[in-house]
Amino acid sequence: MARKRGRGMAACWYGIARTATVDRAAAWAEIDDGGSAKVVTGVTEIGEGILTVLAQIAAHEMGVKPEHVTIGDNDTARSPEAAHAGASRQTYMIGNVVALASREARGRLAQVMADVWDVDVETIGTGNGEIWAKDSNHRISIGEAVSIAKNRGVVPVGSASFGTDATGLDPVDGSGRPWQAYVFGTQVAEVEVDTVTGEVQVLGIWAAHDVGRAVNPQGVEGQIEGGIVQALGQALMEDYQLKDGHTTTSGFAKYILPTSLDVPRINSIIIEDPDPLGPLGVKGIGEPAMVPTIPAIMNAIYDAVGVRITSLPATPEKVLMAIRDKERREADMVQAAE
Amino acid sequence: MLDLHLEATINGRKVSRPAKPDQRLLDFLRDDLNLTGNKEGCGAGECGTCSVFVDGVLMKSCLLPVAKAQGAKIETIESLARTGELNVLQRAFHQAGASQCGYCIPGMVMAATAALRANPFADREEIKERLGGNICRCTGYQKIVDAVEMARDVQNGRLPASVFAEVDAEAGDYIGKTVRRIDAPSKVSGRLKYAGDMTMPDMLHVQVLRSPHAHARIVSIDASAAEAMEGVEGVITSADVPGEDGFGVFVNDQPIMARGKVRYVGEAVAAVAAEDLITAKRALAAIKVEYEQFAPVFDQQEAMRAGAPVVHDYAPDNVTKHIPIRVGDVDKGFAESDLVVEETYSTQAIEHAYLEPEAGLAYVDPDGVVTVLSPSQNITHHRHMLARIIAKPVSKVRFIMSPVGGGFGGKEDMIYQGMLALLAMKTGRPVRLVFTREESIAATAKRHPSRTTLRMGLMRDGRINALHMTMICDGGAYGLSTEGVMRKAAILAAGPYLIANVRVDTYGVYTNNTPSGAFRSFGALQTEFATESHLDICAERLGLDPFEIRRINAMRDGAVTHTGQTLGSVSLLRCLEAAEKASGWEAGAPTARGATRRDLNRADTRPPVSLGARFGAVEKQEAAE
Repeated sequence: MARKRGRGMAACWYGIARTATVDRAAAWAEIDDGGSAKVVTGVTEIGEGILTVLAQIAAHEMGVKPEHVTIGDNDTARSPEAAHAGASRQTYMIGNVVALASREARGRLAQVMADVWDVDVETIGTGNGEIWAKDSNHRISIGEAVSIAKNRGVVPVGSASFGTDATGLDPVDGSGRPWQAYVFGTQVAEVEVDTVTGEVQVLGIWAAHDVGRAVNPQGVEGQIEGGIVQALGQALMEDYQLKDGHTTTSGFAKYILPTSLDVPRINSIIIEDPDPLGPLGVKGIGEPAMVPTIPAIMNAIYDAVGVRITSLPATPEKVLMAIRDKERREADMVQAAE
Repeated sequence: MLDLHLEATINGRKVSRPAKPDQRLLDFLRDDLNLTGNKEGCGAGECGTCSVFVDGVLMKSCLLPVAKAQGAKIETIESLARTGELNVLQRAFHQAGASQCGYCIPGMVMAATAALRANPFADREEIKERLGGNICRCTGYQKIVDAVEMARDVQNGRLPASVFAEVDAEAGDYIGKTVRRIDAPSKVSGRLKYAGDMTMPDMLHVQVLRSPHAHARIVSIDASAAEAMEGVEGVITSADVPGEDGFGVFVNDQPIMARGKVRYVGEAVAAVAAEDLITAKRALAAIKVEYEQFAPVFDQQEAMRAGAPVVHDYAPDNVTKHIPIRVGDVDKGFAESDLVVEETYSTQAIEHAYLEPEAGLAYVDPDGVVTVLSPSQNITHHRHMLARIIAKPVSKVRFIMSPVGGGFGGKEDMIYQGMLALLAMKTGRPVRLVFTREESIAATAKRHPSRTTLRMGLMRDGRINALHMTMICDGGAYGLSTEGVMRKAAILAAGPYLIANVRVDTYGVYTNNTPSGAFRSFGALQTEFATESHLDICAERLGLDPFEIRRINAMRDGAVTHTGQTLGSVSLLRCLEAAEKASGWEAGAPTARGATRRDLNRADTRPPVSLGARFGAVEKQEAAE
């Protein structure tokens, strides 16, 4: 049998937001005319889906619909600081701060309507473009409520800052509290190794990751799938090479990337262990998604053909050479025994 | 150059206008007709993001001289949703969550259109094969293929159009719901403008002169001939930096352009702003730089040896950062262990390969604010650094983050924005720089290549007693994020396991290679690759199932980490159990038992690829008919 299958697994952990330093972010929110809303914060989409996540959070907290949320441009001169787009921090830092700013804006509007309806502000409910008082017949659109508030001289705005509690590391023993939120994960990989060519195909991945709370499950899956395929590239094919400081992999003809034909079926399992310190319970997924993939694939290659690749990438040439070495060693042992 | 008069039908409209014979079809569409929906990702026909239809055939417009479009019928991404309403395929991409950064998506939608035109009943594997010429770096392709299948089924009436309905959130509970991406319509239609799609009136084009040497002193730069050229509006070198030069994420060791010496091939030495791209390129060729070559160092371990060439004077040992973690007594731990296993691991340099090459615009606004628009992942920090570098108050520096066509950490470094700012200041005009793919690969940061030695001591029952890891990484010529990468790598090195004796050392080292920097998973990928591979080696030696050895050592609620932090809730056991269950894992020690496993080849895997097999079958079938 020229093609052999095997399975491997690996686990991971990861810290959310900036490492070994406090992290911080700010946002402004406003419930606007016609039941729409505005959110302004200093960082944006790098493809992970943060704009949608923020629109969902703002809609959820301010009682409007996500499609009616406008998110302002990220601009150091026009929006509050939200620091950078990286470190798996966007949902955690920006998501949480948008929730806080939205709650403040909603509180202003709720107070106006509690006064108008002469009810306790705690009884005010909002959602899907409406505002109401529990156990009463009071129910109007958010747009109408904004109009009432503005006629009373109130613009329903909010702003917030969200910071994390973390410390640097001791320079001698490394002790410290680098993050306030940690995530964990586990992946299983199934591979097929062609023992004639050395080519490895990854046919299946099962990926279980704790994200705290999934704001948008499809977005979480997208991060897991994309992370796994980037890791697969590093595991099997990608290799930026230099000769005397000059790259020999200067374009995509030489620097080989995974295509649609290289990718496994990815089965994502979302685990939710809410973060107790942020207002939403969310954590993050962008980076941890790709951490266990490579060792899971290498462990699966071992399971399939009994060779351990410790030097990445596991190219067909490298895998084939390892298989041939193993066969030679085994033949030598048989000969020695005879 | 003699102009060509092009007559073609483009997106259903007759076009009759002059074109330059040296233009590619992509340039004509994007620059002359402002049809910027289809992007340039590589300029070499490798990535597919520029794909358009020429007389109904899917073509890579970066490979076509514009003259090939003479008399042809051209369809770009803009042809698919001309009235603003998305077509079935675009709606399916929206519904399935098939776009992330969106940069590859116009080309992907065109390729998917071609696939379903060629075979309206194409199955999943055939769709994958037909999309094989289009690269996506964000999504992992799964949701793209899901989208094409969804569109196929809607077109064939096997799925109702109601699959395109928005999520129903009762009582406004939107958290935890798959709300469709709000930015997807702008991406699947090609309407979203990335920095390289934007222009400004009176804009100049920037090109950068880069170092051909890995390590050399700059003896002299003579830009007088370039400056004298017609159409050249400004040339800058490090002499034009008015403030305190130097950027980085942890240490500001990189000048905007090489100052005194170059430290890697591809480092910026000078930059030109000119009326058009060709003039800017000609001007680069006219700049004379005299170098005196130094001995370079290309290996991180050689760089640490006494007497190695010094890359930065402030770090005579070439060590950018060393991070130690110390818990307990590893020597005692190994002495008490039943099994000690040692292995070495290495990982390679990786290119981010975001489909959007770096691009940016800069201008000085009427209030004297120096403004840079670019797909920067860190506008806040860039603003601080640029203010210091150009000696202006922070209020006079403004960064705008344009839509990012993939970042993965690679756009955290202020690698070109400083040159744009200086040229906008020097010329008083808006300037734009768009990297080529080759420039992006040669000049920007990579994932840190690593060499790791890992020694683990375990008890017979599987408990890990001691772990000693040393990882030495090639940080390349500049610091960028190396310090942070070494820190995260060290903190997470020993994995989510309770280990009483831990010694970890991570070193980031300067060399004359392309700089290493931030890359998704930031050092943890390298160290956890070693630890998780190693655990399987140990599990085999101890006869333990891989899940079992991890469960034995797993951190649990209230665990204390290797940096002495007490955790609250720890979800590791839940993740282990979920993955084990979902995959139907057959328990057993990892003894290369693939041949006897009974958990393989389930419905939730994909079939292996045999390239071309399906097309062969179709042709045979056609021949038979």
